[in-house]
Parts: sequence; C-alpha cells; structure tokens
Amino acid sequence: MYILGIETSCDETAAAVVIDGKTIASNIVASQIDLHAQYGGVFPEMASRAHVEAISPVVEEALRDAGIGYEHVDAIAVTRGPGLVGSLLVGVNYAKGLALATGKPLLGINHLEGHVYSLWLTQPFREILFPVVVLIVSGGHSELLLMTGHGQYQRLGGTLDDAAGEAFDKVGRILGLPFPGGPNIERAASLGNARAYNFPRAKRDDSYDFSFSGLKTAVLRESTVPSSAAARRGERGTDRTPKLRTDISVNDVAASFQSALVEILVEKATRAAKAYQATEVLMAGGVSANSLLRQMMRSASELPVRYPPLNLCTDNAAMIAAAGYFRYNAGLRDDLSLDVAAMWPLTSASYDR
Amino acid sequence: MPILKESELDIISHSEEQTRRLGVRLGALLLPGDVICLSGDMGAGKTAFAVGIGKGWGATTPVTSPTFNLIHEHRREKDTMRLYHLDCYRLRGPADAETIGLDDLFNRRGALILEWPENISVLLPKERLWIELRVLELTRRNFILEGTGKRYEELVNKFRESTFGV
Repeated sequence: MYILGIETSCDETAAAVVIDGKTIASNIVASQIDLHAQYGGVFPEMASRAHVEAISPVVEEALRDAGIGYEHVDAIAVTRGPGLVGSLLVGVNYAKGLALATGKPLLGINHLEGHVYSLWLTQPFREILFPVVVLIVSGGHSELLLMTGHGQYQRLGGTLDDAAGEAFDKVGRILGLPFPGGPNIERAASLGNARAYNFPRAKRDDSYDFSFSGLKTAVLRESTVPSSAAARRGERGTDRTPKLRTDISVNDVAASFQSALVEILVEKATRAAKAYQATEVLMAGGVSANSLLRQMMRSASELPVRYPPLNLCTDNAAMIAAAGYFRYNAGLRDDLSLDVAAMWPLTSASYDR
Repeated sequence: MPILKESELDIISHSEEQTRRLGVRLGALLLPGDVICLSGDMGAGKTAFAVGIGKGWGATTPVTSPTFNLIHEHRREKDTMRLYHLDCYRLRGPADAETIGLDDLFNRRGALILEWPENISVLLPKERLWIELRVLELTRRNFILEGTGKRYEELVNKFRESTFGV
C-alpha cells in the first residue's frame, strides 16, 4: 500500500511515499534552513511563502522518485498540527486539493504521531513490542509518552517552559553560535569540558515533567554581562541581545549546558520506562540526533534504546506517511472539511484499532 | 525611584515561584479582550509569569513557552473564553503578524498575553497593560505594571488589592 505523506508544519517542505508503513520509496525535504539561519530563527511569513513555492515541485519529485503516479497512491496523509498556522495551511490545502482531484482518501496527521512513527521506518526493522516509552524532543516539543499500542498514547510528562530544542536554540543565541542551536552547540561542546560549569539539573521530584528555563537562565548569568541601564529600563530601540563575556570559553559552556540538558532527559525517560515496565525506550525528534543524548540514554537504560537514523530525526514526510498507514489500517479517514489544528495534543489524536 | 501613578505598580519578586504566584493573581482577573504585554530580556521571567497567569485563569492545558509555535491557545472549563499566548520575538511587522492571524485575535473574545510586544508596537492597541520585567540579580526580578485606559487602570488596582490587600 502506497501512502503519500506531506509535511509543512514548520520550516521544511516535505513529501514522501512510504510502502506499507515501513519502506521508504521516496523522501524529499526542501529545507528553509539557509533562509532562516541568517535571521536566527523561523519567521512565519517567510516560511509560508517558501512553502507555497516549494510544495508542488516537492510532491512531484516524491512521486517521481518513488516511480509512481497519482493512480498508484492509496491515501494522502498530511500534517494537520501542531505547528505554525500559515505553514500548516499550505500543506493541508495542497493535500485537500490532491484528494479532491484524485478521489484518494485523506488523512490528517498529528506531527508528534509522525515523529513516533519515524521509529517504524528504521531499517532493518525489528518488531516493536508494546508498551514502550517514547521521548519526543525537538525544537517545539518535549514530550514523554507511554505507548500501549498503535494510536494509543498516554502523556507522562512534558516541558513546563521551553522545549529541549528551543533551549538549544536560545543558548546558541546567548553564545553567539549560528542557528539552529542543536548541531552548533554539539559541535562546540565536542571541544569543551562538560565539567567546567555545574549548571542546574532536574528537579528531584516524582514527576515526568521537564524544565529548561532555569538552565537557560543559569547559562545566561554565567556567560553574559548584565545589559546596559537603558536596556534594563526597557527603552525602545536599545539592543537587548545579551553581551557575551570575553573571559568565558564558549566550548566549555556549550559542553556543560549540553550535559545538564541530556542528564535531565535521560533521568526522566529511564525512570518512566522502569515504572511502566516498558520493553524499550524510543526517542524521536530533532534533538534525538544529538550524539551525547544517544550515548547517555544507551548507557543509563537497562532496556534497549531505539532512535531513528539522522535524516528521520528532523522533520520529514516519510514519518507522516508511516503514521498515515497505521491510521488508514484502523479505518480512519478525514474529509475535505479537514482544517489545521495549530495546537493539538497527541493524546487527543489517539485512536482505537 | 519614580513617583508612580495610580495606574502603575512597582513590585520586586524574589524567586521564580513568587513570579508565578504574581501571575496567578493577575490571571484570575482577566476578562475577554484584555491585552497583557510582557516586556523583558531573555531570562527575565516572562514565561514564568505567563505560566502563573494560565494557572490563575484556569487553563486546562499547561502554559509553556510559545517560542516555537509563536501562538498558543488555551481553554478553561468554566466558560468559552480563550487565552492566547504569543511570542512576538520572530515577528518583524504587519506581514508576519497577519500570517499568524494577529488582527483576528485582537477582535476575538479572548485575553492576550504578548511576549516581546515591542516587536509589534505599531500593531498594539493603545489601551493595554504593559508589564516591564527586569533582571536585578540571581533570582530577583523587578516588575513595573502600567495600565493605559480605564479597563487597565482598574485591572492594576484590582491586582494591587489582590496582591497587597490595599
């Protein structure tokens, strides 16, 4: 069964064809990273314009790469949310147009469910036995889930403030590193001493929630000079970018920050896996590409740890198609009234088989 | 220290927890259409304060940083009112604001919390509550509330009563 997946929730325009929810026939991602890197973040208006330009060629390339035409597609799966409204609209409207023109079934997919199903695309595939604990960590999300079956999600915890990837981006900005923060901090950290600074770790409580803003503020305090009096008074037009101290080692701060953040994630995920008698710890999302996180999770967990290959950690449409396959099999369909859902907790996207 | 008007309030918070509790007091007072601007540097406590507002208002979904999605919509059980929480850091002007549907939000029956409001100052309504958050040291933060317009002068007064009992 061929599912065409479309993903435009943030700054990647992506389309892919996946066979039977497991085999990637094509996987095209048009990244806007160069466009946004010069401004240090994703700007919404620029993002949706870039999606509009890229969507048609990207979908056609995905079909061409897979060697199929629209007539071979069994269903169209598109990211419905969560994400940037203006970006989501481009993908959802395009998918609705395709569904209308081709008469193929339409499926609206939760972006986080997509990340979960990136784990099903790992080759060679070993069957995943439920229940599993899933840690989704990306620029916009930090969620710890218990998955008891296909489409069965229970939220164990999540961030109370910044998402993990957001903490990477913000600390990257403090340290004057290029956007996006994740890979650039990882690079700097590889040259630094992770013990140079003792940044705050997880609160030792029973919850599975994360908090990263205290860590971010500690990095800020340690590595910047207080802003000018005018900036503190909040006068308009004053530069509010924190000024980096000249006597700190960016590499040491990056390494110490990264190790604190990773320790928080590892502690919560391994504790949850034990408490819920999971068979495995799964990780997905952009931050799961971080090699220290992978290494620490493997060494701390008594259970097998699984994560997607690097190209499936970041946003892509193959994972949307894979999630679509399992929804399709469960008999779910959406109609042309499908609308974007900018805020859409994964638990409310749960379904029964 | 400047002499404050009735419509202004100057507060010191000694911890993130206290910042959250101040937010809870304000959140309980919000009405549909209210615009709350939270201005301050990274680490000043904007999100911590917003988390408190969400709690005091009764949000059923936890308030977290809206940086990635730019806008979070919250609901509560007691009525159909909405609470919108925006991060304007990456909005550079009217075109970006339009893409995320900001005009629409000002006209809806929800309350708005705006972080980095100075980035869209031309689009802000003249009447609003402006809260300046400043880092003093370690966990100490200074908050200056300034209400513009009748509704917001009243809001500052109610907040003062509920926080200090005077």
